[in-house]
Amino acid sequence: MSCLRKPVSTRARAACGLVLALCGTAAQAVPAYARQTGQNCVACHVSFPELTAYGRWFKLSGYTIGERQTVPLAMMAQVGSTQIKNNDDGTGTDTPVTARDRQLAFNGASLFLAGKATDDFGGFVQWTVATEYKTDGPSTTHGALDNTDVRWVGRMAGPTADDIRLLYGLTLHNNPTAQDVWNSTPAFGFPFTASPTAVGPTAGTQIEGALAQQVAGIGVYGFYDKTWYAELTGYRTADGIFSVLRTGQDISTPGGVARLKGYNPYLRLAYNREWGPNSLMFGGFGMTVDRYLDNTDPDSGTDRFSDRGIDVQYQYVTNPHTFTAQARFVREHQDYKTSFAQGATSNSSDTLDSLQMKATYYYEHQYGVTLSHFALKGTADPTLYPAGAVTGSANGSPDSRGYILELDYLPVQNVRLMLQYTAYNKFNGGSDSGYDGATGRSPHDNNTLFLNVWIAY
Amino acid sequence: MNKPLVRRAAVVALAACSMLAAGGATSAQEKNAVAADQAAQKVAATICTSCHGPSGISTSPLFPRLAGQQELYLAAQLRAFKGRTRGEQDAHDYMWGMATLLDETVIDALARYYAAQKPAPGTPGNAVLIARGKILFEQGDPAHEVVPCASCHGNAAQGNAIFPRLAGQHAAYVVRQLQVIQRQFRDSPIMHGVIKEIDADGMKAVAEYVQSL
Repeated sequence: MSCLRKPVSTRARAACGLVLALCGTAAQAVPAYARQTGQNCVACHVSFPELTAYGRWFKLSGYTIGERQTVPLAMMAQVGSTQIKNNDDGTGTDTPVTARDRQLAFNGASLFLAGKATDDFGGFVQWTVATEYKTDGPSTTHGALDNTDVRWVGRMAGPTADDIRLLYGLTLHNNPTAQDVWNSTPAFGFPFTASPTAVGPTAGTQIEGALAQQVAGIGVYGFYDKTWYAELTGYRTADGIFSVLRTGQDISTPGGVARLKGYNPYLRLAYNREWGPNSLMFGGFGMTVDRYLDNTDPDSGTDRFSDRGIDVQYQYVTNPHTFTAQARFVREHQDYKTSFAQGATSNSSDTLDSLQMKATYYYEHQYGVTLSHFALKGTADPTLYPAGAVTGSANGSPDSRGYILELDYLPVQNVRLMLQYTAYNKFNGGSDSGYDGATGRSPHDNNTLFLNVWIAY
Repeated sequence: MNKPLVRRAAVVALAACSMLAAGGATSAQEKNAVAADQAAQKVAATICTSCHGPSGISTSPLFPRLAGQQELYLAAQLRAFKGRTRGEQDAHDYMWGMATLLDETVIDALARYYAAQKPAPGTPGNAVLIARGKILFEQGDPAHEVVPCASCHGNAAQGNAIFPRLAGQHAAYVVRQLQVIQRQFRDSPIMHGVIKEIDADGMKAVAEYVQSL
């Protein structure tokens, strides 16, 4: 959802919108890996980017299985059309809510440098060019580094040397949970792609995209007996020698990127079990970050966000039937020790809960249907969530909830045609007309139909 | 000079050289075989295990169990994947690329490795299906020209040379192979002739039976 945390300038909103646009194309399917292993996409993906058990092993192995490619490149592009139920913002100024409604829109194109460098070292680097469609001016197209993950991996054999008992490694990445291998975590969670122009709820937790492509994560992980996974990562501002990890981001505008104080811990634990065609994972994760109010001012003071999450994933993978389900719950405690003192929030601390659930069925890896439910619920904070046309809140509440129904068709393994419908029961604290405190707009007016073509090569 | 003595000495010397050379060749072959076995074990432990499980005992029925499989059958299949002559969709999706990474000596060593592993025990299943499958396996179905599976795969489904071991194999995998062979997606002339008349229920039954062994 949105990465907006508090009232910021129009330019900052625009910068955040650009990050969102990039987030919208952040999901991966990397054909360079298929060329490296000689295997079909279905070996690693239920449907890209959702990973199978083997895909998870491949990623944890540092993307090193297979034969190193001379030119380890891959490409991806998306183009689609968005139709919002009510594209008039209700202010009487004939201002549309989204640009290019019911017209074709470019949803980003990526170039990947991905694969194995040595038997113990590999990764992927994604460069994405995306267009920001504006309702109040000409569109702009911008390139930036997208999700990136490079790994060194080690292996410890069991007593008989017939299996790897412990797979462990180091990861350097630029988006919290982009390194995770279960699709119940945010970075590669559902929806895997979304409309670049649709409007979404204002609130969102830090771990669910607010730091994407802005931080450097340096982590160590281990996967024991294909059962227990543990990871400890420290996140810091991607500056200095890590600045390449946020290449293309707007670092000079207040609110353009996140700036963190020091190293901020992230811990992940998961229990994984595989039996027959089934796999099940129960896990938890936590991250605490101290974030400066103004990324351009190191003396601006910090607020502390503590995210604690639990997640579960179940997969049943056979041929022709595949069923998968994921659920994630994140509770974020927001300590506005600086913002409150400066009058940027109504409360000294807030809580924000985020729930995401989805279930998917695929037939022959070709025809898919997914149903998802999402909900945000948190402390009302009228200063943080003020009234305003479309994106505002009448009661200062961040509460939103709704459903997504998605139909997918893959005529060939690397082309996906998708139809995605997002429906809101509640939006920014309101269930009825006038939820935004400025117009008569209702949550249903933000319902969105998104038709998308996604090609990877 | 005593010519016969010289001739005998020359023969003895030649024989000694030949034995030394033969001994050297044998030693080199043994070293190569040991190196291939080590390479194969590494491939098995780091790559094959991802799908086929530790020691070739997979958990997912998408991937066959290899432990205790017939060596000749395994080597033939790996060469069929590498040569892309085994062409069903799953072979294309999962194995073509993997097999290209293997050279001939590692293929043979991998076959030796998995053939030497202790097979997984059978898995109990639906008793009615197992009973029907047992009849089909042991007696065939003369009305549909289905010969007893045991005649090639062995009374205990242990396999024989190029005829694969079926005992303990995932039922879903066995059914899928029967389907792709029957529809000629997987080239297997002998099996195609044998099972062309077997129906879906028969496939399920015989698969459930061999899985239980």
